[in-house]
Amino acid sequence: MHYESTERKPLILGDKSYHQITEDVVRPIETAAPRAWWVAFSIALVMFLWGVGSLAYTVATGIGVWGLNKTVGWAWDITNFVWWVGIGHAGTLISAVLLLFRQRWRMAINRSAEAMTIFSVIQAGLFPLFHMGRVWLAYWVFPIPNQYGSLWVNFNSPLLWDVFAISTYLTVSVVFWYVGLIPDFAMVRDRAINPVQKHIYKILSFGWGGKAKAWQRFEEVSLVLAGLATPLVLSVHTIVSMDFATSVIPGWHTTIFPPYFVAGAIFSGFAMVQTLLLIVRKVFKMEDYITIQHIEMMNIVIMVTGSIVGVAYITELFIAWYSGVEYEQYAFLNRATGPYWWAYWSMMTCNVFSPQLMWSKKLRTNLVFTFMISIVVNIGMWFERFVIIVTSLHRDYLPSSWSMFSPSFVEVGIFVGTIGFFFTLFLLYARTFPVIAQAELKTILKTSGEVQKKLHNDHGAQH
Amino acid sequence: MASNKVYWKSFDQLANTEVSQRLAENEFAQDIPVDVFLSEASSSDSTTSRRDFLKFLGFSTAAATLAACEQPIIESVPYVVQPDTLTPGVPSFYATAYTDGQDYASVLVKTREGRPIKLEPGDSARFNRGTNARAQASVLSLYDSARLREPRLGKKNTDWASMIIALKKSADQSRAEGTQFVLLTSSVYSPSLQTAIERLRQGYPNFQHVEFDAVSQSNTLDVWESLTGVRALPSIDLTAASLVLSFGSDFLASSMAQQVSSDYAARRKPGTGMLRHVELESNLSLTGSNADKRIKIKPSEVSASLAYLINQLGGSAPSVGLRGDLTKALQSLASEMKSAKGKTLVLVGGDDANQARLAAALNGLLGSFGTTLRSDKPVYIRRGNESRLSNLIADLSAKRVGTLLVAGTNPVYFRVDFSKAIAGAKFSMALTDRLDETAMLCTAAAPIPHFLEAWADYRPAAGEYSIAQPTIKNLFNSMPLLEVLGSVSGDLRSAKDQVAASASAMGLDWNKTLHDGGSTVSSGAISGTPAAAAMAMAASIKLAKPSEGMEIALYENALGAGFQANNPWLQELPDPITRLTWDNYLTVAASDALAMGFENETNSDGSLDGSYASIKVGKRLLENVPVFIQPGQTAGTVGLAYGYGRSAAGKVADGGGVSAYALGISTGSAKVEISKAEGMHEFATVQLGHTMMGRRIVNEVNLNEFVSDPSGASWNEKPTFHTIDGLKSAEEANLWANHDHETMHMWNMSIDLTSCTGCAACVVACNAENNVPVVGKEEIRNLRDMHWLRIDRYYSSDMSKDRAAEENIGGIEMYAQMEEPSESPMVVFQPVMCQHCNHAPCETVCPVGATVHSREGLNHMAYNRCIGTRYCANNCPYKVRRFNWFNYITNEQFADVNPSQDDFGRMVLNPDVTVRSRGVMEKCSMCIQRVQYAKLEAKKVGQPIPDGAFTVACAEACSTGSITFGDVNNAKSAVRAAKSDARAYHLLEEVGTQPSVFYLTKVRNA
Repeated sequence: MHYESTERKPLILGDKSYHQITEDVVRPIETAAPRAWWVAFSIALVMFLWGVGSLAYTVATGIGVWGLNKTVGWAWDITNFVWWVGIGHAGTLISAVLLLFRQRWRMAINRSAEAMTIFSVIQAGLFPLFHMGRVWLAYWVFPIPNQYGSLWVNFNSPLLWDVFAISTYLTVSVVFWYVGLIPDFAMVRDRAINPVQKHIYKILSFGWGGKAKAWQRFEEVSLVLAGLATPLVLSVHTIVSMDFATSVIPGWHTTIFPPYFVAGAIFSGFAMVQTLLLIVRKVFKMEDYITIQHIEMMNIVIMVTGSIVGVAYITELFIAWYSGVEYEQYAFLNRATGPYWWAYWSMMTCNVFSPQLMWSKKLRTNLVFTFMISIVVNIGMWFERFVIIVTSLHRDYLPSSWSMFSPSFVEVGIFVGTIGFFFTLFLLYARTFPVIAQAELKTILKTSGEVQKKLHNDHGAQH
Repeated sequence: MASNKVYWKSFDQLANTEVSQRLAENEFAQDIPVDVFLSEASSSDSTTSRRDFLKFLGFSTAAATLAACEQPIIESVPYVVQPDTLTPGVPSFYATAYTDGQDYASVLVKTREGRPIKLEPGDSARFNRGTNARAQASVLSLYDSARLREPRLGKKNTDWASMIIALKKSADQSRAEGTQFVLLTSSVYSPSLQTAIERLRQGYPNFQHVEFDAVSQSNTLDVWESLTGVRALPSIDLTAASLVLSFGSDFLASSMAQQVSSDYAARRKPGTGMLRHVELESNLSLTGSNADKRIKIKPSEVSASLAYLINQLGGSAPSVGLRGDLTKALQSLASEMKSAKGKTLVLVGGDDANQARLAAALNGLLGSFGTTLRSDKPVYIRRGNESRLSNLIADLSAKRVGTLLVAGTNPVYFRVDFSKAIAGAKFSMALTDRLDETAMLCTAAAPIPHFLEAWADYRPAAGEYSIAQPTIKNLFNSMPLLEVLGSVSGDLRSAKDQVAASASAMGLDWNKTLHDGGSTVSSGAISGTPAAAAMAMAASIKLAKPSEGMEIALYENALGAGFQANNPWLQELPDPITRLTWDNYLTVAASDALAMGFENETNSDGSLDGSYASIKVGKRLLENVPVFIQPGQTAGTVGLAYGYGRSAAGKVADGGGVSAYALGISTGSAKVEISKAEGMHEFATVQLGHTMMGRRIVNEVNLNEFVSDPSGASWNEKPTFHTIDGLKSAEEANLWANHDHETMHMWNMSIDLTSCTGCAACVVACNAENNVPVVGKEEIRNLRDMHWLRIDRYYSSDMSKDRAAEENIGGIEMYAQMEEPSESPMVVFQPVMCQHCNHAPCETVCPVGATVHSREGLNHMAYNRCIGTRYCANNCPYKVRRFNWFNYITNEQFADVNPSQDDFGRMVLNPDVTVRSRGVMEKCSMCIQRVQYAKLEAKKVGQPIPDGAFTVACAEACSTGSITFGDVNNAKSAVRAAKSDARAYHLLEEVGTQPSVFYLTKVRNA
């Protein structure tokens, strides 16, 4: 057995046995939901229904019920789309990239992070769909055979690339997540008393028997899927950024966008993971598994990616000046000093300045502070997309067409609705799925458990 | 006789070989296994019985019947006897004259399947040939469902026979009682109508005909009547002019603007000898925007300025003190005028008698009579006499009028005193197109036909006779005025017969005159020039000092006097200067607004709000007038447009704006008291950025620079790019594969920014041609206008890049100041439609390929394929794409405004152009239906399309010929010539879009 240096902090706190871990992870599934869950679920459901109503109204009446105009053709819709896609990125990064890099601290958080990925990609997908003027013809974006002669999709269009990128991403993420869930579902199945529950988990666990061969295949599939998912971490947001980067609009037409968007996505994704896990940890009493060290690690990622994003912002400004293109120069000047200066400076404050506070160890290990920063970062990243989309569009080449944008209650409703939908899904997930990949976690108990480390430290390798 | 020929198919058959015999026996080469099928065992033991079969049959018949019931039933009735002049799908054109109570124009009416759908300019030999915005829109007024449909007596509908009986009875009674029988109309310049009126006068000694113009020229007409003896305005001839000095005259937007602006553009071809235009005005008018030099002046300073100029030029006029800066400006003008004697034209706006006299004198002094000012060739379209109208009001109030017949005008709306007076008539009848403010107060109201429904004739100017012919059977139960008057006077001829009689009296060939839309005649000219009389008149007038306080000057925008106020195309047409729609408002200078506390503010959603003002002229008060802060407005003056504030015009017009007529201003300007009122008004604007922000959008050059550098190298510098292969032009520095532009056609459009006056006739023409939806005030306020063609208006700013560099002003401050228009801005107009880029940013981003490039240089939009992502609109650098935010053809929000929601309004739709559904993008198609039609016509005759054989709707509507459309692959085409002009440039060339539309640099004779 591989032993980990005792210099490394333990990843599992307290005196945990394998059974203890099982008990801790399965508790939310097997016990009745606490009142707080019901309250949260009701709120999320109401928000979701509001969103459904807003969407129904939009589809029935027309995109005109939003606040868009002849100059600003995208605003909250695509802002929300990019925001949600970005949030999704942390899950894949944690489960795939960190798996390849053998980062064991991922094991406590990857399940929820991946759930978050899937749920947020679902939200993201709603926007490109419902922002269409004729959503009932949305299937035309797929290159499907048709009776219209040689009518084909336009492979030049980044929006089409988006279709492929997002659908691939969602598919791979779901498969990867599900494969990881199989042994855990089997664990729940084996413990279930209620026959209905048992039956459901039986189906979900695909007849997992825990044979050595099964474990071996499980490991292989996980590794292959991790390999498949890793490029997606980079490709999805790169392609999303190309919606803007390949255009001719000053403020969009920027070659820095792909890395900048990927960094931003990881940044916002980790912030969202942080937000969710701080709650899960507290509510489901998982402090022993999602430790301060986990929180700190993620805070460091947030700080680093936040700095990358900050560098990107400054690079954009520099290049705008250096390019000598007056439209470009004006676009960035207008962002910072024009009618939407407040959005720009909200973005700057939230994304560039606030993560820098994480240099302080005291702050980055403070849970309340971390929670606040995670929210602030998510707000900031929403503003980043708003700034890119709206402030570039509202004043582009011809001043005669300059305009302003303000959302209607319907757009706000749809956004709130997706937040509701997201939390509805997440809350359901938290009560029915093992929120921690317990099977995986058990593999590191002997090496990274607090008690085991201490024993190892005290008694040497023979233990 | 039976044929004994033998036909054979092959040599074998001819020789009757064995093979052919076998083949003949065996018709089908392969056996068809009929027997196998019939003898199949399974068919006999099938479980489907005869009863089942009948059940299925019955069910499917019933199902098919039910399904058929749900199909919408579209009644389309074919012709029983097809007219031999009409081919479905092929338009017919008729020459006619357009009149709406205010304007006159010679036009060509395009009809499809018997429906007039579009007006085009008439024959080039005709007077005031062409279409302004109102003329273009008038075809929609024909299909206004608010039109009066039946004659009504009291509150009840009746028939024409009873109407005529009632009218005649009342007229007879008035004659017996000795009260007046009055016909009140706008200016009558129809020979047939004048004859009919004369006949009526003979039968009724108590008959009076009173003419008045909604926007009066009565005082000016009085002056000219005293000078020439004829109540008519002189025509203006710019072809002989080299300097036009206009005192508030909006001659490029007047009722004769088609003629005048065409001459104006012709004389302003960039080059030496280009006509120079100086405008001195209080409101920033369309004409003033086009001026080479514009001087801000108050209406009360006009007379004194004219007098000053007369004195400077050696004439005699009373001298009145003037502002120092104005005196200085006038001095330099005087010296300019001296050197352009005989080629100068002085014009005045408004209707002030003194101004008219002084202008006439100044023109006399400059030798303009007979050259630029043709009093010998008068225009008859204004004949109104306000003093006779005042007498009528007095007579009405004193109950001296027994019968009042109001025809084709709306005195209750136009004249504030009339609503009370009209009750004094014993019997009043309105011959009107709608139950308007006047008709509501009349005893009887009856519909008169639209100009496209009736016969009429006109003598609009000396030497011109024109005939208007119906192009559709009257939609409603209307009767032309000619026939109504005839019925009363006992002349029972039809309107057509009356017109034909007038034409034959002039010795004209009926068919030819009708075909041409009119004819040149010898009548109407005046001999002699009244120059001396005019100068003598000026010497003896008394002038008041310019006033100190606030003054108001009324003006006309696209709605004009307001005859077509219920026309949604005109209501939604952005004012060329303010870019506001659906409203009129007080235009106020920024300094005055600051002093009086008026504000304009843009909300977070881009909508514009403005303070309210109360304005008082004499004793008349107008409340809740929205205030718009207008650059270029003379401080101490305000402006207000006529034509709004209707209460009984129809759903479109009612409640929009305020009525300037309610102020009772007779000369067009007056002293005014203004105070701030509570609340904020919601404007509907289409343009928020007013300056070019230092960008090269409208390229402009001064005449002397233009002349000194014909190559354009110094003033039309094309963007270049540093590449690894050295400097390259935007066209060469290119990542894309080029389209083939040499084979077949390559459609290009040239827009001359020098001759474009910004009149916006093209915008309405485009609306009509392409079924552009009307979206109403609320949606315009949301910045969602649907116009395919817009006319951007930019003001100059006091801040420039050069100035910022000189004064060391930083970028942030510079751009902030650049957004602010100058207090006395230069104005430029730029029509912008889809630029039909040959490397179109919209085409690459559409995920479903709904917008694609044609090999003829056009960018196509396939509505059927569009799923509405709006990515194309976002990526369009010109922002010309328009999205269907709602279902404008069924959504109730647009029921009142969008013609295609109305059974009548729908008739105006061009059947060649799809009406777009919601959720799809649309934009200028370069009138693809016209392109295709021309190509098919050319194909039929087997000839290439000759240049100028067809053009697009905007180009056709343009009176100044600013828009040239054609095939650049045709070496002889006009557009090819324009493309090689040194002035040509592409808008935003540096983006590399390679548009098919290009602009010609604006040259200002400053």
